[in-house]
Amino acid sequence: MQTRVPTIFAMGGGGFTMEPENPALDEFILSLAPVQVPKILLLPTASGDAGSQEAQFRATFGDRPCEPRALSLFRLGEGGPIDLRQTILEQDIVYVGGGSMRNLLAIWRVHEMDDILREAWAAGVVLAGLSAGAMCWFAGGVTKSSGEPEVTKGLGLLPGSLSVHADGDPNRLPVYERAVAERRLPAGWAADDGVGLLFKGRDLVRVVSSRPKTRAVWTEQTPAGLRRDVREPEYLPNLGHVSSEGSRIVSADVLEFRRARRHGASLRD
Amino acid sequence: MEMRVPQIVAFGGGGFSMESSNTLMDDHVLRLTGKRRPKVCFIPTASGDADHYVVRFYRRFAAVADTSHVSLFRRDTGSGAVEGDLEAHLLQQDLIYVGGGSVLSLLGAWRAHRLDTILERAWLGGTVLCGLSAGSLCWFQDAVTAFHGPPERLHGLGLLPYSNCVHYDAEPERAIEFKEFIAAGMSPGFGVDDGAALHFKGTELFDVIASKPAAGARRVECVDGTVVETALSTRYLGMAAPALAA
Repeated sequence: MQTRVPTIFAMGGGGFTMEPENPALDEFILSLAPVQVPKILLLPTASGDAGSQEAQFRATFGDRPCEPRALSLFRLGEGGPIDLRQTILEQDIVYVGGGSMRNLLAIWRVHEMDDILREAWAAGVVLAGLSAGAMCWFAGGVTKSSGEPEVTKGLGLLPGSLSVHADGDPNRLPVYERAVAERRLPAGWAADDGVGLLFKGRDLVRVVSSRPKTRAVWTEQTPAGLRRDVREPEYLPNLGHVSSEGSRIVSADVLEFRRARRHGASLRD
Repeated sequence: MEMRVPQIVAFGGGGFSMESSNTLMDDHVLRLTGKRRPKVCFIPTASGDADHYVVRFYRRFAAVADTSHVSLFRRDTGSGAVEGDLEAHLLQQDLIYVGGGSVLSLLGAWRAHRLDTILERAWLGGTVLCGLSAGSLCWFQDAVTAFHGPPERLHGLGLLPYSNCVHYDAEPERAIEFKEFIAAGMSPGFGVDDGAALHFKGTELFDVIASKPAAGARRVECVDGTVVETALSTRYLGMAAPALAA
């Protein structure tokens, strides 16, 4: 069997919650799984498991070639209790939504999801996310979980730091750069909305973006002061719902089959 | 200045979250504040700060109290929740009302925002604390939760040095698991039905009240290796049912 490399895709912003009209990043995430119809699981914990985030997720992924599912740490789903570890480990992709990074990590900890996700990463489950759901994989980032931007720790799967929404929410950036300059955060990336950083193991292998004229900035404290290296992302064209071959279209019977499987009992009578 | 005694009202279930047409439980906790128009703050953390829950709180209380809510998921400005200094706001309240949901997620988020210490200070300062389900379990030393996975013992804020089990009548499995943990050495405590509530002054049980005539509560403890339930005398808050004419 092919071994999967630990993979993290961290977005400064973007994806179905922020640019539902532009599926470029979400399509890219699906392409990271080495299977045709990946199992993709939404963890909307950072939003308090807002119903709206799950609805947007289903609207985006429901008729794409994947098996979408959402997992709440606040409510039991229709299926009742599940084995959290097994559920995470059988995914191809775990997609973490935005919201409060402080709450996200605290709630994961009480449910022991931090250990489960670390294990999933090592096993090659693709970990993707935006905003809080991107910074959580790094040693630290800048959160607005308490209102004002401030430094906070992440899970530390990746040794660097990440600050998100560098263009869309500019008051984070000075807090981030000061923290890196004062070595309260390790060197790392400030990513614009639309920018995604792809890591294989701990190595950055690609920088992509769903938006033109965006950038990622490597930020590092050196003896000569703060150094900023701009990295231009590869622009991902917005292919919309249908690719040129039409292969992204899911046929009606597959959709019906998936609906039936999702709602099992209710369709039987 | 008059010293206010610390008070907690722990519902087994009930209030506006569960009994939309029965106001007895919520009226009772409002009266305990001793204020004509109390300051009441809702903490819906256990629901993930669900919008519909916040709306139902305001619908219930906005006409009779100075209402606010704390959202630990929406600390940004303009979200409608309390902004700025949470501690200063919470310490001024007459009543803090904690909603239901996941008690584990509630405790995780509270500790991350230091709400555990803030709420203890509010309690010591005489703010009445109340809540149902997760918002009831959270005040106790011990409780049992079964979310995804087998039932496990959890430690709440520990303001009340007992264990607690909510929905005792409505969810028999929960009561069975609770008694297993009591038998295994968890601190003795209480089993509380939907529609019943324990009212503590300090850490002493002062009153057991009910919004439904048949709802009750019992003390649950392990005596000589056997779990013993002792029914607690319960006061129904509504009118006694009229005697039927012969």
